[in-house]
Amino acid sequence: MRSIMLRNFVVRLVSLSLLSLGLAQASSAAMIGTQQAIQSEAREAQISRVETILARADVAEQLVKFGVDPLAVQERVGNMTSAELLAMEGSLNKQVAGGDAIAVIGVVFLVLLILELVGITDIFKSV
Amino acid sequence: MKTFGTAQASALFVFLLLSGCSTIPPSVSAYGPAPSPLELEDTPFYSQQLFQCGPAALMTLLTASGVVTTLDAVTAQVYLPARQGSLQTEILAASRAAERVPYVLAPGLASITGELAAGRPVLVLQNLGVSWAPRWHYAVVVGTDLENRKIVLRSGTDARRITRTSVFLRTWRRSDFWAVTTLKPGELPADPDRDRYVEAVAGLEQTGHFQAARDAWRAGRLQWPNDAVIRFGLANTEFALGNFAAAEGLYVDMLSEDSGSLIARNNLAMTLVALGRNSEAREQINAALNIAGDSPLLPELLDTQKTILSTFRSALN
Repeated sequence: MRSIMLRNFVVRLVSLSLLSLGLAQASSAAMIGTQQAIQSEAREAQISRVETILARADVAEQLVKFGVDPLAVQERVGNMTSAELLAMEGSLNKQVAGGDAIAVIGVVFLVLLILELVGITDIFKSV
Repeated sequence: MKTFGTAQASALFVFLLLSGCSTIPPSVSAYGPAPSPLELEDTPFYSQQLFQCGPAALMTLLTASGVVTTLDAVTAQVYLPARQGSLQTEILAASRAAERVPYVLAPGLASITGELAAGRPVLVLQNLGVSWAPRWHYAVVVGTDLENRKIVLRSGTDARRITRTSVFLRTWRRSDFWAVTTLKPGELPADPDRDRYVEAVAGLEQTGHFQAARDAWRAGRLQWPNDAVIRFGLANTEFALGNFAAAEGLYVDMLSEDSGSLIARNNLAMTLVALGRNSEAREQINAALNIAGDSPLLPELLDTQKTILSTFRSALN
């Protein structure tokens, strides 16, 4: 119980610090970035700085909830583009996470074995 | 309704299982002009820990690209404990952190063989299971063999896993043929696609890796000398690195080809401020505002005007 409260506190602290970091960056920016030029070239909707800042804070918060070290999260989200952050906002649990995890039992295992033998899957090492 | 027996039911079941796996389009399975067989034998191998194929595959790719790092450091950048895996976006983000250009390849075997022929291994996302029991897996393609229809991978705990090309294509298609290679800044992909390259470098620039982005824009300019966005990118990174004279020259070049370019005029104005030439900066931003109309860039232009005016005032005081 206490550790959950502590975790939530850390999550809030991290997102708050990221928010203020983003705002500090935004206030000094009158340069137009190349990404923005590409968006206007492709007639895509412009992603505003505020949208980026909010999405970055949201993704950082989700990463911490999924077990990322709060000290590492800033660098991780800092290397994501605005478009990536927006795509991940609120949907981190729906993104594909490549990691070999699979949970199968009984009949499913047999079906998978058959699929493996006819060459549709490639799960098992030595079949 | 006893006519629907067990045999039919199982036949239907198997059909439903298989129907998700239609044939691979020839454009994807085509091998391309690369030599065969082809194998980058010197590619290092990092055996994965449980669920950590993402860090291991990325470590292989980065090390092959000349980055000096450790598996622990890469794991801390891309592993997501509660999801027992790594996200594609984080693979790209961590490549940027290592000052590399994460270039997402066009779908197809030919893209992979092209990169291998250029000496670069390719990281791929596979679903080794099926859609209803997925087993998402990152591996690194290091070799292909057209004659024997084989793909060679650094995969999981296998230093040299050999997979039939047909099986590889099926497991790869479930990620929409997601494949990425890391370019050293200044390297071009084997089969350069302008949009994919620009997107990759712009991402590097946007996340603050200006030196790497500058070198990558320079290489892009050799390939696409008349591309306005690439010239703009080069100018922006020169500005960010404090090379204001170089940036000025590039913005002026852009305007000599397209005097209506608001992005070039806005950033030229900001560059002139940085060079301490405030009255010229004012002329430029006013010229931009005169033709801006209801452009979506108007807020930026007004922002720039405000910055110039406040610089002007503090210079007077």
